[in-house]
Amino acid sequence: MTSLLHRVKSKMAIFAHRKARGMLDGEYGSVFRGRSLDFDDLRAYVPGDEVRDIDWKATARHGSPLIRRYVAVRRQTVLLITDTGRNMAAEAAGGETKKDIAIMALGVIGYLAHRHGDVVGLVCGDAHKTTSLPAKSGEAHLERLLRHVHNNATMDSAASRLEDQLEHVARTVKGRFLLFVVADEMVATPSLSGLLRRLRAQHEILWLTVRDADLTAEAPWFSVHDSSPLMGHLARSPRVAAAYSQAVTDRDSGRTDMLRQAGITGGSVSGSPEVITELFALLERHRRAG
Amino acid sequence: MELMFWWVVPLGAAVAGLAAWAAWRPGRNTSARRRPAAHADRLTRLPEYQAALRRHRQWLVVAATACGVLLASTLLAAARPVNVDTVRPEQHNRDIVLCLDASGSMSSADAEVVDVFARLAEDFEGERIGLTIFDSTAIQVFPLTDDYEYAREQLALARDAFNGKPGTSGFLDGTWSGRGSSLIGDGLASCITSFPPSRDPENSKQQNAGQQGSRQPRSRSVILATDNFVSGDPIMTLQEAAGMAKEREARVYALNPGDFDYGTDADQPGAQLRAAAESSGGAYYALDSPDAVPGIVRAVQETEKSTLQGAPRAVVTDLPNLPLAVALLAGLVLAVASWRLRP
Repeated sequence: MTSLLHRVKSKMAIFAHRKARGMLDGEYGSVFRGRSLDFDDLRAYVPGDEVRDIDWKATARHGSPLIRRYVAVRRQTVLLITDTGRNMAAEAAGGETKKDIAIMALGVIGYLAHRHGDVVGLVCGDAHKTTSLPAKSGEAHLERLLRHVHNNATMDSAASRLEDQLEHVARTVKGRFLLFVVADEMVATPSLSGLLRRLRAQHEILWLTVRDADLTAEAPWFSVHDSSPLMGHLARSPRVAAAYSQAVTDRDSGRTDMLRQAGITGGSVSGSPEVITELFALLERHRRAG
Repeated sequence: MELMFWWVVPLGAAVAGLAAWAAWRPGRNTSARRRPAAHADRLTRLPEYQAALRRHRQWLVVAATACGVLLASTLLAAARPVNVDTVRPEQHNRDIVLCLDASGSMSSADAEVVDVFARLAEDFEGERIGLTIFDSTAIQVFPLTDDYEYAREQLALARDAFNGKPGTSGFLDGTWSGRGSSLIGDGLASCITSFPPSRDPENSKQQNAGQQGSRQPRSRSVILATDNFVSGDPIMTLQEAAGMAKEREARVYALNPGDFDYGTDADQPGAQLRAAAESSGGAYYALDSPDAVPGIVRAVQETEKSTLQGAPRAVVTDLPNLPLAVALLAGLVLAVASWRLRP
């Protein structure tokens, strides 16, 4: 079995070549890099860096933009939160298993954090139990986290209940962390909304939604929740399809509203090729939101 | 109602049960070819989907019921429901030869006999009737026939002649050309020869070949109206003629309007006639008056009929209409349901 992290890194390498090299790093750095007033050194500007970090005098001397680097006040802790219940073993809108997309997204953020010297932890689980892997640094640790997600999110897992994992974080985690949540198309509920607000007060949160499969698509589906088959041909009848698309739109807008109200930057992906682009956009949005 | 192949029903039911078990046996993974999807409640919570699902289930129930009914009714039809009736078929394959003594003393009795048969012939269906009159010689007025129109016509003529209607005496022409009068033996023998030759085992094959396939044996009876007063020298005696009748399996019913026997001597004409009739399996009736003839003839007809009734036979009638109609109906319902259920 090839290394999961290796796959993530090769994806990122392709992205880096396609766009400007280091762009993601710049985005991550400007978002999460803890700043202090202690000047560290200068480095070349990469797109995505904070414009106010440009040392204009040094730039003028040097002829190309340079960025001031400061010594970090503290090591950031990035906490990856995801669901490893049955739902993650289902198909995403793009046709892949949702788990694979989630691992890609977790891997990208984890690797960026690792490159910036941050420590990465993982909280995942299902309706029965919540597992918390402590934050550590190193690629091997990151690989272990990804592998844990990969091994636990199967069809035999318990039902999904991401609220439990979020609750666990709210209850146990002390200090200000960066929370990177990979979830699927959860429905917005008042309790979840309250929980998110409570978490946002303590942490910075990035939320990535993996889009679920379109149930009106031409495929025989079964529900991973109770293994019951879905009548696809009924779902494709015009009345039901119209009601379905309306319901999905309502659900999406409900979730988006909930995240916005909680002050959480959200994004959504339906396949792993979109992950890096979407994460880039997500970081960009988060930086702008301040 | 009975089922001819009753074992088809349990056999078919067992096969159907086995098929159903194979289709729905526990542990069969129905989602093997399906793809997993999370948050199915996005779809299943929709009232539109639930309504569609309810309709779908209703049609499924209809289809399953129709399928079951179709199976049951075709099984029932395959088991051949039959109605078994026991019938005693009345045979209409009698041959009757009226053998009438045309001597003057007999004419009123003869008239009654032909009158009765003229009326009986109206109800005949398959019977054959012939008429032979004799005095010193025998004349076959008409041979055995089932042309009842013609027979009635001839019987009417005979009746008129026997009644002495003016201008009808020509009917009896030719019956006095022999020597003597009332040659009963000859007359009876002539009547007997009206029947086709006897069917003894040796002949039967030949006959069957000649008469296009086997035919049901026909009963033979002779209504012999005579007083048995012979005057002359017959070629055949009454006993010989009776023997011939027996040989040809013809029963002789003798009607004697003038039984003037003295005592119980076997040589008396009445006794001789009785012996002759009974030896052939028939009967002897002495008439007091010609008016008694119709009753006696009818009695003879009745006894003939009852002796001729066939053996009881089981008649099996197939009754596939109801199960097949139900099957057709169920098939139509199934067709509609599967059209509604098409993906």
